Amino acid sequence: MIDSSSIKQLAGHPFDRRDFLKVLGWSGAAVALSGCGNTSIENGKETVVSYVEAADYVIPGVAVYYNSTCAQCDAGCNINGRVREGRVLKLEGNAASAINRGKMCGLGQAGVQHHYNPDRVREPLLRKGDKGETISWDKAYALIAEKLNGVSGEQVAFLSGAVSGHLKVLLGNYLESLGSKNLYVYEAVAPAVQRAANKKAYGTEMPRFNINKAKVVLSFGADFLGSWVSPVHFSQQYAQFRKGVDGQRGVLVQVESKMTLTGANADRWLVVRPGTEGILALGIINALGASGVTLSGDVAAAVQGYDKARVSNDTGVSVEHLDKLVALLKERTPSLVLAGSAAEGYAHGSQNAAAINLLNQVLGNVGKTIEASASVPFPQMIPAKGNTAALKTLNDDLAAGKYKVLFTYATNPVFTAPGSMKFKANLAKAGFKVAFAHYLDETALEADLVLPLDSALEDWGTQVPEYMAEGAQINIQQPLMEKLHANTQGMGDILLTLVKQREADKYKDFADYYGYLRGSLLTIKGALGSGGTDDDTFWDETLTSGIIKLAGSAEQLSGNASAAGLQLPAAAAADAQYSFHLIPSVTAYLRDGRHTNQPWLQESPDPLTTIVWDSWVEIHPKKAAELGIVEGDVLEVSSRTGSIRAQAYLFPGIHPDAISIPLGRGHEALGRYAKGYGVNPFQILDAVFDQETGELALHETRVKISKVGQRIIVVKDEGAAGGKPEQRRIALSKSTDQVKLSEEV
Amino acid sequence: MKDIREDIAWAKINRDVLVSLENPRKLYWVIVFGALSLFSVGLGCEIYQYQVGMGVANLNNPNVWGLYIATFIFWIGMSHSGTLLSAILHLMHADWRKPIYRFAEAMTTFSLMTAGLFVMVHIGRLWQFYYALPYPNDRGTWPNFQSPLLWDAMAIFTYLSSSVLFLYVGMIPDLAICRDNLHKGWRKKLYTLLALGWEGTDRQWRNFRVTYLTIACFLIPLAVSVHSIVASDFAMSQQPGWHVTSFPPYFVAGALYSGCAAIITLFIILRYVFRFEDYMTKSILKKTVRLTFAIAMVWTYLNAVEFAAVWYGHDMDAKAVLIQKATGPFAPFWWGMVFCGSVVPLMLAFKRFQTNIPVLFAVSLLLNLGMWLERWMIVAPTFSHGYYPWVWDNDQWPSLIQWGMVMGSFGWFTLLFMVFCKVFPSVSMYEVKEMVYHRSLHLKKNETAGQGAH
Amino acid sequence: MSVSNLLENWSQFRHFHPVDDKPHDPYKWAMSIDIDACSGCNACSVACYAENNIPVVGKERFQHGQQMHWMRIERYWPDHDFDFPEQGAEFLPMMCQQCEAAPCETVCPVGATNHTADGLNSQIYNRCIGSRYCSANCPFKVRYFNWYDYPTDETVWPAEMNRQLNPDVSVRGKGVMEKCTFCVQRLRAAEVTAKGEGRIVREGEVQTACQQACPTSAISFGNLVDPESRVHKQWQAQQVEMNVDEQEKDKEPGGSHLRGYRILEELRPYPSVMYLERVRESAI
Ligand SMILES: Nc1nc2c(c(=O)[nH]1)N[C@H]1C(S)=C(S)[C@@H](COP(=O)(O)OP(=O)(O)OC[C@H]3O[C@@H](n4cnc5c(=O)[nH]c(N)nc54)[C@H](O)[C@@H]3O)O[C@H]1N2
Ligand code: SF4
Ligand code: SF4
Ligand code: SF4
Ligand code: SF4
Ligand code: SF4
Repeated sequence: MIDSSSIKQLAGHPFDRRDFLKVLGWSGAAVALSGCGNTSIENGKETVVSYVEAADYVIPGVAVYYNSTCAQCDAGCNINGRVREGRVLKLEGNAASAINRGKMCGLGQAGVQHHYNPDRVREPLLRKGDKGETISWDKAYALIAEKLNGVSGEQVAFLSGAVSGHLKVLLGNYLESLGSKNLYVYEAVAPAVQRAANKKAYGTEMPRFNINKAKVVLSFGADFLGSWVSPVHFSQQYAQFRKGVDGQRGVLVQVESKMTLTGANADRWLVVRPGTEGILALGIINALGASGVTLSGDVAAAVQGYDKARVSNDTGVSVEHLDKLVALLKERTPSLVLAGSAAEGYAHGSQNAAAINLLNQVLGNVGKTIEASASVPFPQMIPAKGNTAALKTLNDDLAAGKYKVLFTYATNPVFTAPGSMKFKANLAKAGFKVAFAHYLDETALEADLVLPLDSALEDWGTQVPEYMAEGAQINIQQPLMEKLHANTQGMGDILLTLVKQREADKYKDFADYYGYLRGSLLTIKGALGSGGTDDDTFWDETLTSGIIKLAGSAEQLSGNASAAGLQLPAAAAADAQYSFHLIPSVTAYLRDGRHTNQPWLQESPDPLTTIVWDSWVEIHPKKAAELGIVEGDVLEVSSRTGSIRAQAYLFPGIHPDAISIPLGRGHEALGRYAKGYGVNPFQILDAVFDQETGELALHETRVKISKVGQRIIVVKDEGAAGGKPEQRRIALSKSTDQVKLSEEV
Repeated sequence: MKDIREDIAWAKINRDVLVSLENPRKLYWVIVFGALSLFSVGLGCEIYQYQVGMGVANLNNPNVWGLYIATFIFWIGMSHSGTLLSAILHLMHADWRKPIYRFAEAMTTFSLMTAGLFVMVHIGRLWQFYYALPYPNDRGTWPNFQSPLLWDAMAIFTYLSSSVLFLYVGMIPDLAICRDNLHKGWRKKLYTLLALGWEGTDRQWRNFRVTYLTIACFLIPLAVSVHSIVASDFAMSQQPGWHVTSFPPYFVAGALYSGCAAIITLFIILRYVFRFEDYMTKSILKKTVRLTFAIAMVWTYLNAVEFAAVWYGHDMDAKAVLIQKATGPFAPFWWGMVFCGSVVPLMLAFKRFQTNIPVLFAVSLLLNLGMWLERWMIVAPTFSHGYYPWVWDNDQWPSLIQWGMVMGSFGWFTLLFMVFCKVFPSVSMYEVKEMVYHRSLHLKKNETAGQGAH
Repeated sequence: MSVSNLLENWSQFRHFHPVDDKPHDPYKWAMSIDIDACSGCNACSVACYAENNIPVVGKERFQHGQQMHWMRIERYWPDHDFDFPEQGAEFLPMMCQQCEAAPCETVCPVGATNHTADGLNSQIYNRCIGSRYCSANCPFKVRYFNWYDYPTDETVWPAEMNRQLNPDVSVRGKGVMEKCTFCVQRLRAAEVTAKGEGRIVREGEVQTACQQACPTSAISFGNLVDPESRVHKQWQAQQVEMNVDEQEKDKEPGGSHLRGYRILEELRPYPSVMYLERVRESAI
C-alpha cells in the first residue's frame, strides 16, 4: 500500500506530478483539439499497446493517491483517492484533515459510483417535444446567448444547491453580468432553522460543538452520528466522548419522536410527543432552577408554569426520567445540548430551538462545549446556504410567470419540493430552462437544455465547509483521473464560458477554470499564509495536501441567549381526521435522494430497520396491533396534500402517534438504480412553514393510514428473530458501574 | 399360502421371465413415457441452473443446502435395502428372497446413480467436480481427507461399484439363459458378451457360488458404512440438530426403511406390468411387509431416542431446532414425516392389510413420502435456525427449479429401472428354479414320509 | 505429486496455530471491535464493498437472502419485552472471525479454505467447487456464495462501473464461496514490503478497509504476536486468550469487569476477533 506520504517518494521517480495535473486540467481541450492520440488509457479508446507506452503518470501495478474533497454532502470531508492505471478505485479519508481525520462515511465512499455511474448524461441535450436531441456544446452556448438576448436581469433566475468557493464567486459574477440578483439556493434538508436560532443564541450561525469535551450530551433530535451537519467529524468526537473525559464515559441522552441512528446509540432514549421538545427543554430549565441552579429573571419567568407534572403530561416523558436527567445535567458538567432537525421541523421550530439553546446557556455550556468557529477571511467564498424559504420565493415567482430563463444546478426541486408547492407545474411556466446535470433527474427532465457535467472526481474546484472543525480551511477538489466521457464539462468551465459571453475581456486571461482557480488562489497566496513561497511550489503543495489550512480569525461568540419572545404553543391537539404525525426521516446514506442511484447506498441496509432498496412506513408495534397491521402490509398514507403507498415495518423506536417514512427514494427518474424503488414522501408534505424563518416545517404534516389489502415481503437484512439475540451471547453489554474504562488500552 | 408353487415347470419359468423382456403390458410404456417426461423436466431445470447460477434454486445464506442434499440422502437411503437385504438374506439362506432380489439389487444400483446426480446438481462448479477426487496432479493438490464429503464420495463410489458387481455376478447364469433362448440381434450379442461363456459346468458353479458369497459378505459392512458416512456429513458438523451421536444408526435404519418401502412399491408394479404373479407371490409380499414393519418400528424408536436425547440434554440450540421443527414453519412437514413414518406403518401390523395390494401400494408410497420428508426435515430446519439468530430465516421456499429436479430424479430412476427390467431378467430364473426344486424336494420328502407311515 | 509427498506434507496441510512446534511467527492477524464506540453507521461495510469487489445483488436477490456483504452490521434489541427501546439498540459488525480452529476448514472436500501461517482463514476461489459445506458448518454464517455470475451480470458491473474494480482482488465467478479475508491483499503487500526491508510489518502500517473507514475508530486491527500492537495490548488488557473456549476471567464469581469477549467462543472455533461490550450508563 502506498500512503500519501509515499507520494513524495515518487518525486524521484520518472513521474511528473505537474505534468499529470496539467494533462488532467487540460484534458477537455486536449481531447477536443487532437481528437485521438491521447496517451490516455481511460478515454474510451483503449489500445493494446497502452502499457508499453503508458502515460508517465501511470505506473502499472502501483496505486497512487491524490487528495481531494468529498462532494457527496456539504460537510467537506477531505479525501484521498486511490488511483491505479489511471482509474480511481476507492475514496479514503485524508488523515491530515481536521474534519474527518482519515475517516469516511458510506455516502462519501459511494462517490466513485457517482463518477462511474452508467446513467450519467454524456452529451448536451436539447428538448425536441418529449425527446432530447444531442447537440454540440458550441450550439448549446449559442442557444443560451440567444435566449438571454433582450431578456432583463429580473427575468433570469439561477437555482442552485449549496455552493461555495470559487464556483460561488464565478456564479455571482455571471449573474452580475446578467444584471440578475435572482440566485436561489435550495437544499431540501438544510439546517436553516438551526442557523437562525444559533445566530440568536450564540451570535454565530454555526458554532463549534465539542461533543468530545462534554460529559453529558442531551440531543433533541440532532442525528449527529447520521446526517446532521458533519457526521464523520462528530462520530470521531463521539468516540472520544465515549472513552470519556478523565475516564468517565460520556452520557448520551436523545430526545425525539422517531429513533435516529444517534438515538439508537443513546444511553437513554426518551420518546416525546411530536413537537414538544421545546416544552421539555423549558421543563428541564424549570427543574434545574428548582434544584438550585440560578436562573436569570427573564429565564425564570419564561419557564414558570413548566412544572414537572405539566411537562410530563405534555411530552409523555415520565417525571422519574425528568428527575434523573436533571440530576445528571446538574452533576456532570460541562454538558452539551443540541437542537436537531427533528425539534425544528415544526411551525414553532424556531421556538423549540430557542428553548433548547437556552438550556445550554443555563447549564453554562456556552464557551465550553460550544465555541466560536473559525471562519475563512474571504466572504465571497463562504457557502451560499440553501433553504426552502428561498425555494418558496422562487416558486411564487415561477407561478407568476416571472422568469424567461431559469438555470438549475446541483438541486432537484421537482423531486424534493413539498407536494403542496406544485413546483413541477410552476416550473413549466419558466420560458427556457437550462439544467446543469450529471443525470437526467426529475428536474433535468423538465429542462429545455441539459448540459452534462464532469463528476466531482474529474473536476477542479474549491470548497469551503460551513461547519469548521478546528481552524478554518479551504478544501481543494482536483481530478483524480481523466474524464470518463469526452463531452462533459466542469461546472466551473461552463460558468467561465458563459461569463465570457458577457464580459470576454475581463476573463480573457483564463483559458479555463483550472487557470482561473490557480490564478485566483495565487493572488491570495499571501492571505493564505504562503506569501513567501514561489507560485509553483505553493500550487504543488496545495494540490498535494488538498487542504488550505488558515490561521483564521475566530468569530465572536455571544453567550446571551435570552428568553425574550419565547412563546411555545401547547402540545398539539389530536387531529381527528389525520391522526398521525408524519416524520419524513433523513437517513445518513440517502439524505435528500440525490445519490439514490448509487447501488452501494441502495443496498446499504438502513441501520435501524435493515431494509434495502425500498421505502417503508415505521409504526409502533402496539399501534400496529391495534390497527391489525403486520409487517409487509401495504399502507396508504394520505395527507391533505396527497397520498403514497408503502409497506409497514413495525418499529419500537417511534411515538405511537407518529409514523415515519424515509426520504430519498421514490424517484421517477435518475437512472436504473434509483427509478422505481420506493416512494417519495416529499410529495405529500403540507405547506406549513416555520413562523420565524419561513422554512418548511418538515414534521408538520398530519396523515391518516389505511391498509390496502396487499402484503409483501419486506426486503431487509434482519432475519426472522427480529434482531433479538435469543439468549445467545452475541451483543453483550455492561453497565458503567460494572466496568473500569480507565484501565483499558 | 405358499411362497411359490412347487409345480411350475422349469421351462415355464424360462418362458415367463423371458417374455417379460419382450412383451410387457401397455402400462409399461405409459410408465416409461411418464418417466421420460419427468426426467426431461429435471434436465431442463439443470440446464437452466447451470447457465444462470445456483441462485435460481432459491438457496441463500444460511440456507445453502436444500432439496438437493435432502433428496440425495433419500436416494442413498433407497439404495440400501436392495443389495443389503439381498446379501443378508442370502447369507441367512432365506430362499424367499430369490424371486425378488434381482430387481431389488437393480433398484440399489439405480438409486445410487440417481443420488450421484444430486451431488452434481448441488455443487456450484459442476465442471470442477473432479477436484474432489484424489488423483495425482502436477499442481500438487489433493482433496481434504478430513472432510466427510470426501469419505462420502469414496464410500458411495465403492458401494456403487460393488453393487453393480454383485448384481452382475448374480445375473451371469441368467444371462446365459437369455443368450441361449433369444433370437439373433443386438440383444443376443449383448448377452453373449455379458454371460462370459457360462456353460453351467460344475467348476463354474463352484467358483460362482464362492464369488457371490464373498461379495455378499463384503457388501454388508460396506452398506452399513455408506449410510453411516452420509450421516457423518451431518453428525461430524457442529450445527445444532445435526451434531448427534445416534445419527449413523438412525440413518441406516432410515435407509433400510425407505428401501423396503420402495421394494413393496416396485414389487407391486413389476408383478402387474410383467405378469409375474406366479413368482412375486403375495406370500413373499407378506414377508417383505412384515420386515418393513419391523424396521419402521426400529426407525420410530431411534427417532424417539434422538428427540429424547435432545430434549433432556443441555444443548439449548439443538433443542431450539427441535422445537422449531415441531412448531415453526416446517411443522406441517415434520408432523407429516411423523405421521407417514411412524403412524401409517401401523397398518402393516394388521394381517388383512399385509396382502391387500391396493392398500399396500398406497401405504408404501406414503412411507416413501415420509422418508423423503425425514431427509428434508434433517437438512432444512437446522439451516434456518442455527446458532446465529441474526440470519434465521424460514421464508426460503425451494424454487420450482429445485422441485423440478427432485421430480426429474424420480423420472430418471424409473426410466433406468424400467429399461433394465426390459433388457435384463428382473426375476432370477436360475434361483427360482432352485427354489422350486428345493420346495418340491421338501414336498416329496413329506410325501415319502407319509407313504412310509402308511 | 506422489503419495509419499502427500504424507510428508500432511502435518503441514492441516495445521492450526499456534501450537508448540509452530507458533505464529512473525504474524497472527487479529482484530478487536468496540461495540460501545460503534454507531452502526455501515461505513465499514461500504468500504469492504469498495475494496473487495463485492457485487451489489439488487432488490430481488436481496429478498431471497442472496446478499454478499462480507461485513454486515447487525442491529439488536433487548431480549426482554419492552414498549420502547429506551436504552437504544446495539450494533454489531459481523464478518468472518478468522477462527484459529475454523469449523469451515475441516469440512471442505477440496481444501479450498485453509489456515495460513499468519493466522488467516484463507479462501482459494479457484480451488472451490461450491459444495457450500464450509458455510453449513460456519457457526457465524459469514460465508457468502456466488449464486449468480456477477462479473457477467449487466446489472452489477455495467460498463464504467466495472472500472472501479480493485485489480488487487479477484472478481469471483459463479459457484464459489467467498467471505471477509481481513483484506489479505493489503496484508500481503505490507508483509512483502516489510520483508524486502528486513523487518516485520509495524503497528499501524497496514489497515483493513473497514478499520480505515470507521468514523468512530471502533475497529482495531494488527499483529497479535507483536507486543507493540494495539490489538495485542487490548487482548491482553481484556484477558482474552486465543486458545480457550472459556476465559479465566469469566469464571470469576459475579463476572469480570472487563469488556472483552468472543462470540460463540464455547463452540471452540477460537475466533480472532474480540468484541468489547457495549456500556450502558447506570445513572440514567
Ligand atoms: N527474453 C525473454 N523473453 C521472454 C521471456 C523471458 O524470460 N525472456 N519469457 C517468456 C514468457 S514465460 C512469457 S509469459 C512472455 C510474456 O510476454 P508478454 O505477453 O509480452 O508480457 P509482458 O511484456 O509482460 O506484457 C505485455 C503487455 O501487456 C500490457 N498490459 C498489462 N495489463 C494489461 C491490460 O489489462 N490490458 C492491456 N491491453 N494491456 C495490458 C503491459 O503493459 C505490456 O505492455 O514472454 C516470453 N518471452
Ligand atoms: S460526511 Fe460523508 S458524504 Fe459528507 S463529506 Fe464527509 S465523507 Fe463525504
Ligand atoms: S467465522 Fe466462519 S468462515 Fe470464518 S473462519 Fe470461522 S468458521 Fe470459517
Ligand atoms: S464451497 Fe468451496 S470452500 Fe466451501 S466447502 Fe465447498 S469447495 Fe470448500
Ligand atoms: S477486514 Fe477487509 S475483507 Fe474483512 S470485513 Fe473488513 S474490509 Fe472486509
Ligand atoms: S464503520 Fe465503525 S461505527 Fe460504523 S458500523 Fe462499522 S464499525 Fe460501527
